[in-house]
Amino acid sequence: MAEQSFLIFISGGVRSGKSQFAEKLAVDLSGLTPDRTGNTPYQLHYIAAGQASDEEMKTRILRHQTDRHFSGLNWITWEQPTELTKLSEVFSKHDVVLLDCLTTLLNNEFFKEENLWGNILFQEQIMAEILEAIEKITSSCHALIVVSNEVFYDTSGDQELIYTYKKILGKLHQKVVAKAQKAYLVESGIPLLMKGGKSI
Amino acid sequence: MHFVTGGAFNGKSKWVKEYYQLNNTHYEWISAYQRKAVPEKSERPGSGSVIVLEGIEMWVKDWVEIFEVHEIREKWQDLLRQWVEWEKQHPLCKVIIIGNDLSKGIVPIDAKQRKWRDVTGWIYQDTVSASQRVDLVWYGINQQIG
Repeated sequence: MAEQSFLIFISGGVRSGKSQFAEKLAVDLSGLTPDRTGNTPYQLHYIAAGQASDEEMKTRILRHQTDRHFSGLNWITWEQPTELTKLSEVFSKHDVVLLDCLTTLLNNEFFKEENLWGNILFQEQIMAEILEAIEKITSSCHALIVVSNEVFYDTSGDQELIYTYKKILGKLHQKVVAKAQKAYLVESGIPLLMKGGKSI
Repeated sequence: MHFVTGGAFNGKSKWVKEYYQLNNTHYEWISAYQRKAVPEKSERPGSGSVIVLEGIEMWVKDWVEIFEVHEIREKWQDLLRQWVEWEKQHPLCKVIIIGNDLSKGIVPIDAKQRKWRDVTGWIYQDTVSASQRVDLVWYGINQQIG
């Protein structure tokens, strides 16, 4: 029987501590505590979807990088702002993978080319590609943790662009949560377990 | 009466269809997203044993254009009373109300939008008061909160 793969979904508001929680969870899943060399039984991987497009993004990315560096663990970072599917084949059962974050990845895909976002076929295609990549990475690695954002609680659905983006992201979240063994909502640093039992 | 809320695109309607097994039940689905009118006075809610009112925030959005906040709230409370009464007269029947939570974004710049989200929040509180059960749905997972 094939070894089981884990898919875990984590979302929360901006600055809710969801990334820190996701990193901690990844470390736990990688074999609890690292030895003195920073090595863990499973290799930690970080898929960064953010693009350093301006100074603010650069600062945010740097903060995440510094956090990971000072954790003393050996993370391997993959810069993948689009085309997650390119990483479908690179992981093995010895890997714990953290994708941060789905919101940014979808955003980058959404605006890859101007004026395409309104096209239904294009929407279906980017959604299917992201889901397929998530499924492939999940089944090839030990565990995949997907981080995303809560953006569904305001009045901004009026504009077609925002409505469409939210619709696709919402559908992706529903599908990922349906496949995930565990799903967490992080509120001000407190992870609420929304799906899945205590043990993993 | 059963109120189901949560963020947009979180699978609330899908959850309602599955929870009430609507495939096997006689029901009436009245969706504000399909520009259906809210079932008002004198019109009985239809013959369905389950009546689902979907996207109630969109009715509020229309009312915001023509009514004052207190008028909208009174109108909604009046409707709630009628549906509760209808449920009493038909003990096997149920009204299910689905509404998007609009309350957790930044303050909208546009005054109409502020009015819309304010009054939506208040009528949700009224709806909770009139309901026997309240669920929050988060990506297809329900949490009973009342």
